[in-house]
Amino acid sequence: MKVSLKWLSEYVEVPADIKEFCDRLDLTGTGVEGVEKTGAQFDGVVVGHVLTCEEHPDSDHMHVVTVDVGAGDPVQIVCGAPNIAAGIKVPVATVGAVLPGDFKIKKSKLRGVVSLGMCCSKRELGMGTDHTGIWVLPDDAPVGQPIADYLQLSDTVLDLEITPNRPDSLSIAGFAREVGAMYQQDWTNPLAEMAARLGLSDEGDPAASDATVEIEDDVRCPRYSARVIRGVKVGPSPDWMVERLAAIGQRSINNIVDVTNYILFLLGQPLHAFDLNKLKSEDGAAHVIVRAARDGEVLTTLDGEERTLTSDMTVIATPERAVALAGVMGGLETEVTEETTDILLEAATFEAGRTSRTSRNLGLISESSMRYERGVDDHGIEARSAAAAALIVEVAGGTVSRVLGDGTGIVDVWPRQTEAPRLSFRIPRFQKMMGAEIPRDFIEDILTRLGCEVSATDDADVLAVTAPTFRPDLEREIDLYEEVLRLWGMDRVPSTLPGGPGRVGVRSIEELKLDVVNRTLRASGMNETMTYSFAMPDDLERLRMSPEGLGDPVELINPMNAEQSVLRRSVIPGLLRSVAHNQAHGVKNIQLYEIGNTFHAGEGRQLPKERKRVAGVLVGAMGEAGWNVQHAAFDFFDGKGVVESLARELALPKFRVKALSAEEAPHLQPGRAAQVMAGGTVLGWVGELHPLAVAAFEVNGPVVAFELDLAALVRESQPSRPYVDVPQFPAVTMDVAFVVGEDVTHERLVQCMSSAGGKLLEDARLFDVYRDEERLGAGKKSMAYALSYRAADRTLTSEEVEKAHEKLVKKVCAATGAEVRG
Amino acid sequence: MSVAEEIVALRERVLGDIAAAETTAQLEEVRVAVLGKKGSLTGYLRSMGQIPPEERATVGKTVNQAHQEVEAALEARKTALAAAELEASISASAVDVTLPGRVQQLGTRHLINRIADEIAEIFLGLGYSIANGPEVETEYYNFNALNAPEDHPSRGLADTFYVVDRSDDAHVHVKGESSVLLRTQTSPVQARVMEAQKPPIYIISPGKVYRRDVADPSHLPQFHQIEGLVVDEGITFGDLKGTLEYVCKQIFGEERKTRFRAHYFPFTEPSAEVDVSCGICHGEGCRFCKGTGWLEILGCGMVDPNVYGYAGIDPEKYSGFAFGMGVERIACLKYNVPDLRMLVEGDMRFLRQF
Repeated sequence: MKVSLKWLSEYVEVPADIKEFCDRLDLTGTGVEGVEKTGAQFDGVVVGHVLTCEEHPDSDHMHVVTVDVGAGDPVQIVCGAPNIAAGIKVPVATVGAVLPGDFKIKKSKLRGVVSLGMCCSKRELGMGTDHTGIWVLPDDAPVGQPIADYLQLSDTVLDLEITPNRPDSLSIAGFAREVGAMYQQDWTNPLAEMAARLGLSDEGDPAASDATVEIEDDVRCPRYSARVIRGVKVGPSPDWMVERLAAIGQRSINNIVDVTNYILFLLGQPLHAFDLNKLKSEDGAAHVIVRAARDGEVLTTLDGEERTLTSDMTVIATPERAVALAGVMGGLETEVTEETTDILLEAATFEAGRTSRTSRNLGLISESSMRYERGVDDHGIEARSAAAAALIVEVAGGTVSRVLGDGTGIVDVWPRQTEAPRLSFRIPRFQKMMGAEIPRDFIEDILTRLGCEVSATDDADVLAVTAPTFRPDLEREIDLYEEVLRLWGMDRVPSTLPGGPGRVGVRSIEELKLDVVNRTLRASGMNETMTYSFAMPDDLERLRMSPEGLGDPVELINPMNAEQSVLRRSVIPGLLRSVAHNQAHGVKNIQLYEIGNTFHAGEGRQLPKERKRVAGVLVGAMGEAGWNVQHAAFDFFDGKGVVESLARELALPKFRVKALSAEEAPHLQPGRAAQVMAGGTVLGWVGELHPLAVAAFEVNGPVVAFELDLAALVRESQPSRPYVDVPQFPAVTMDVAFVVGEDVTHERLVQCMSSAGGKLLEDARLFDVYRDEERLGAGKKSMAYALSYRAADRTLTSEEVEKAHEKLVKKVCAATGAEVRG
Repeated sequence: MSVAEEIVALRERVLGDIAAAETTAQLEEVRVAVLGKKGSLTGYLRSMGQIPPEERATVGKTVNQAHQEVEAALEARKTALAAAELEASISASAVDVTLPGRVQQLGTRHLINRIADEIAEIFLGLGYSIANGPEVETEYYNFNALNAPEDHPSRGLADTFYVVDRSDDAHVHVKGESSVLLRTQTSPVQARVMEAQKPPIYIISPGKVYRRDVADPSHLPQFHQIEGLVVDEGITFGDLKGTLEYVCKQIFGEERKTRFRAHYFPFTEPSAEVDVSCGICHGEGCRFCKGTGWLEILGCGMVDPNVYGYAGIDPEKYSGFAFGMGVERIACLKYNVPDLRMLVEGDMRFLRQF
């Protein structure tokens, strides 16, 4: 809300130090979003007193004058105006001033005579069209005073953020009350005096002024009042009102509309002026009905838009048709125009919630709707309506009919009256909760200044407080606490820390395991990133990932765009978009991981399932080749290595991977696809993404990826690994190479070796895989293992080792069809 | 020439050879030739029996003396040569120590989580625990249970992402809105915690939140907040102030000041926004702080009794405070990240800076 300090200062004293004022506003809950100074265009223009006036020696119309400008010696000015004379007071633009039109005043010579300024006409100051001569100021104008101050043109306009709980501050008068409370000083409420100016008239045909009001639903409209003003002359507003409205950014429309705006900004009461004759029914009277709109009913609003209404909206109607959208905007058909002579002035209150919904659903926010949705006080409407009517008569002529409302001059239907809440204020409780000794005197004073009625009770510690109806936010004791605290000053409250019996901060198991996962991934060279939870609807399809087990996508009703219209069911598409971003910027080596939620909707379930996934992608290599390092291009085993490190660090029991077929994992390249398991629990998958999936995301592959379920990792993770004795006796290592068919896996060989090797076999380390069609035969491979034999309690003899090794080799060969490579 | 003279001559020659040996290998050759099984001096030692008895004493003495001298010379030369060779090998293996080391690439933590970790550590130290809630929320927890007015503008389609309600009794209030949404704040966790847990409550809840903003340098439709909630007996506004002042100093530095500005939030009363003094101009006012000298960093307040009401906590017995801070905001203030979109692009050159 824009507030002109000049306007405001008519009702309350405004501190001279604007910076200090703004700081105080900020700290007490009114945010200052902007400070604009007006009147600066008259810098350097002052009131001058013409001391002497002589004819210019070389001109028949110019004069040479000396002018006292209040500072230093009188200045000499050459002036061409016919009405210049000694003894008069005039506005003088001194050297350095810049007049409207970017006209700079400089020292100059006019026909050989030095001129140090300019005596100004109204037009030269941009203040009117009069250019017949210089502007002669009254004799009492103080010499040397800046003209902006003398004419009271200087103003500061604050742009304030009024929080939604403070409808009362959305007006100059209401805000003056707040400023009064801020500085504990009195303010002047202009309402009573303005309302008292209203005179009612008995002139004219009473029937022509007839109007009735009917409210169909008093929840939608707690109070509706109408006055009739006849014989107005619609035209331009007086200058003072134009200036007032312009200062706060409002354009002048005509005198009638301007008055409704003026009252809205001054008193916070939205008003609407109808053209009375356009409202009238056949019987010659205006019958105003406040009712629910009918579904599909159409109304053209003042802005020329045709609006289709719903029954949740409220309209002002005649028996024939809707004429205005209650609380939001008037109708075009009944608006006040140049031809209007008689008006019906509405002053009412409408339900906050419905006004807000109507405004949102139509995308139509007005100064009225903004106030109604925060709450307009139903008390005092008759006075605010009177103030408005009196002002209309003042600026547009006409008379206010007395006949309405049985001679009261107002039809006023008020079926639902807001009651002022009566509250208790327990002073010790307040002081304890705030942690500050805020004195009783201050509490009473502040609450009173804010409009509350405060009185003592039987209990010396408790105040009885009646909150004003213009403060809908003051409903409970705590609401009063806030008022007192904010005006006392939050900064004055001493800082403490919660005491009590003590407590400890605890991390949950999941948090701790999450740390382990993060640390392990980083130790594996992976970089954490974050991608959008939003996804494209065809992401999974392009990734070729089966939606089986992933539920339905969570669909947004109002997405930002089609690319972000659902929530992700896999983290991989987002990571692939980041890979594409990197590659597009020339980054080839990419190791990214993300731990984030995926979302899985299901029929009949209000909230989707959210799963925390651990996903990663590896593209390129771990780094560029260096003088002393070479990095192999990433392949399946880099991804698997990361997963194996996780398994180790999380102490996953019975960790294993199982090959996935093309049918089981269509998004992975067949033959380089594996399921990650702990015992019988599936943790996720690891593999190289299918080249078609990689291409669909415009990425250069190969892309090694994994996606694991965090909850499963946490669930399977063991609290710790058991201690195993450090060996005391030496191991004996025997190498053996098995030539086996391609279908015999490492896992199978290891299983055979460990079952055949018994207790003495400590470890079987695969150190070579070798294929050679000529030497080994087609479809064969050689798997070379270093086998360590060790006993915990003695040094093994070579006979023991040889016997065990021989037995192992024989059993493995028998079980797998292997041959030992010589 | 007598045998003794032969031995003396041999000794002289051998001592010469020892002195001439330039490597430990050459020296070893000399040793073998003299003292080996078939060595020349060894031959004399072995053939003592054939020496006539009258010369035996003289020859024996000469041989032994030669043997001792040769051995001593070998040892001395060996030590000298070994030292020289070690020195040579050391100087040969000197490297340019400014060459890059052999680095195992370590991964990096995302900036946002790095900051969230720091803040979580501060609160763990103050005795808080960590709570979590879902990112897809009901209107009830995101708005109603937090005392947000039924028709608050933040509930509008322009600000909040709504999600298709798949429950069987889905109903819609305002055109387009639904009872299910992407949480716009971490505050619903407050309501969930108060339902699930009895006071004393000391928690923080970091997490992702969503608002319907177009991604630009200063907005993202998805960002992070850290929510805090304390409910206990005798909690004061002073406790709120003291806690947040401490936290701000921990995050931004001991020299930074804080100020509390009264504000309005539906779920706290009294409510405040907290500013920290500008780190660039130290409160004088500059472009970074838009001339105010202060940077807004969080919202807070005493928990509104209505919120307790939803959770069945007695506001006469307990009081508490809540706060929420934006992690991206802190990232911008601490690291001068010029464009928030960098946080979701996954650019390796950005990620690997932290």
